Amino acid sequence: MKKTRLERGILQALAVVIALCSFLPFSWVLLTSVKSSDQIYNTAQLIPTSITFDNFKQVLFQSNFVLYFWNSACISTVVTAVSMLFAVMAAYGFCRYRIFGAEKIKLSILFTKMFPGVLLSVPYYVIMKQMNLIDTHLSLIIINCSFALPFAVWNMCTFFLQIPWEIEESAMVDGCNRFQSFIKVIFPMAKPGISATTLYCFLLSWDEFMYANTFINSVSKKTVQVGIRDYIGEFSTEWGPLMASVVLSLVPVILFFIVVQDNLVGGLSAGAVKG
Amino acid sequence: MREQADRMKLKEYSFGRNRNGYLLIAPAVISILLLSVYPLVRGIVISFLNYDMTKSNGPDFGTFAGLKNYLVMFSNTKFQKAVGNSVVWTLVNLVAQVLLAVGVALVLNEKLKGRAVFRTVALLPWAIPSAISALTFSALYDTKIGIFNILLVRLGILKESYSFLGNIDTAMGAVIIANVWKSTPFLMIFVLAALQGVSYELYESAAIDGAGKIKRFFYITLPNIKEPMAVAVILNAISIFNNFNAIWLLTKGGPLNSTEIMYTFAYRQAFVDHKFGYAAAVSVEIFIIIAILTVVYIRMISSEKK
Repeated sequence: MKKTRLERGILQALAVVIALCSFLPFSWVLLTSVKSSDQIYNTAQLIPTSITFDNFKQVLFQSNFVLYFWNSACISTVVTAVSMLFAVMAAYGFCRYRIFGAEKIKLSILFTKMFPGVLLSVPYYVIMKQMNLIDTHLSLIIINCSFALPFAVWNMCTFFLQIPWEIEESAMVDGCNRFQSFIKVIFPMAKPGISATTLYCFLLSWDEFMYANTFINSVSKKTVQVGIRDYIGEFSTEWGPLMASVVLSLVPVILFFIVVQDNLVGGLSAGAVKG
Repeated sequence: MREQADRMKLKEYSFGRNRNGYLLIAPAVISILLLSVYPLVRGIVISFLNYDMTKSNGPDFGTFAGLKNYLVMFSNTKFQKAVGNSVVWTLVNLVAQVLLAVGVALVLNEKLKGRAVFRTVALLPWAIPSAISALTFSALYDTKIGIFNILLVRLGILKESYSFLGNIDTAMGAVIIANVWKSTPFLMIFVLAALQGVSYELYESAAIDGAGKIKRFFYITLPNIKEPMAVAVILNAISIFNNFNAIWLLTKGGPLNSTEIMYTFAYRQAFVDHKFGYAAAVSVEIFIIIAILTVVYIRMISSEKK
């Protein structure tokens, strides 16, 4: 089973190729974002000889980007808070009580996560119109909960199943009530799962494009994913600011990656495979 | 005895004893019923109604249409084309992603220098929002500033810039490449997790018995990762079939409907042409396909548990 030097070399080289394939497309965004508009159209400046942050300044100070970012942040925060509160409650209920048909209910919840968005978009448009909620953030909050909540419930149930619940019982014997023992004993243990699910919920809502593009008409109410496209005109595209805003819009995503890096892979794949 | 045990069990499940449990799951269950199930039912109902938003003041708006929406759609050549494109889109994406994911996972499962860094970088496309990855590829494919054109022209392969997304011959390939880049890492995570479950001793004893590398892959690796991978592949097929952003944001289903899949077709019926009835009918068909895949998926994960 020992590998020859040549084999090791090939594997290492392949790993480098893989890394380049996954990073290079995005590096073109990064490079374009720090070029001036002359450099962007100058093919001799593939790798710019000088860099500029004008695009970033333009995006941050002379456009609606900050407002869009704020809109997205507000919507995603509310969606995440509601989904996680309900999900932790439900997961605890499913784990610690005998619920009639619990397994069936949980699988049905998983099923609702798979509903195609386009099928819900038509009735949602009709419903939002009836409720006078077209062009409001509340409509996006409601809709984003429709896919973030089932995901959160399912994931939290998976995480909670792995907790040794006897500990909670011994805390209760020691005089804690259910709520206290949950907060003091179970919560710290479930924290990695809760934080990964929270952040993933946030990103689900942060990434949403279709509904935000369809249900919001006012410029001032756009979300980041939609608002970024302001720089794409019908006939020409302002590539510099566009790419700069792409980079800026990834800030929450990068933070997410840094925070949950380790337990992310195991946590998310466990939820999907084990059930 | 048995009766007693049954009664005990019933008592364990009784509402009185588990009232708090029911109260705890109630908010989530009620919200999901209101937010997902109710719109779903309403969507299905709309698919059987005359619901052309451009004629919302007309006399037959909202009246029962029977199967009309479905029949009109089935005979629509653009819809037929979208069905064909959906098949191509899903199969090519799936095959390419599975092959790549297995290949990448096999490499990253080896003891490499800086393996953790390579793994993190390989996951990068997965972390990027789909709207952003579409923008990334529109920059790469652009005829003026796109790196693909610049390089191909410079290398003399192309005489002048070529619009990959604007020509019917290349548009589907171009959107598939963009989606493969974005979606492969997610599948790779599953394959990697599965590979880590295969015991090292199996390989060693096979090597002692003289099995070559290719034999080891087909007789040890593949059978051992088959089941978890099947789950991941189904999940992946659902998300490919359900994809909107990867296509809409690059080509909007064009040029000349060459990249229009059922999903974008349904969206176009609803929010470009305002034919809600038709859109709902197409969506219901999408839902049926997704439902079949989901049932297979749920069967798989619940049997794995046992």
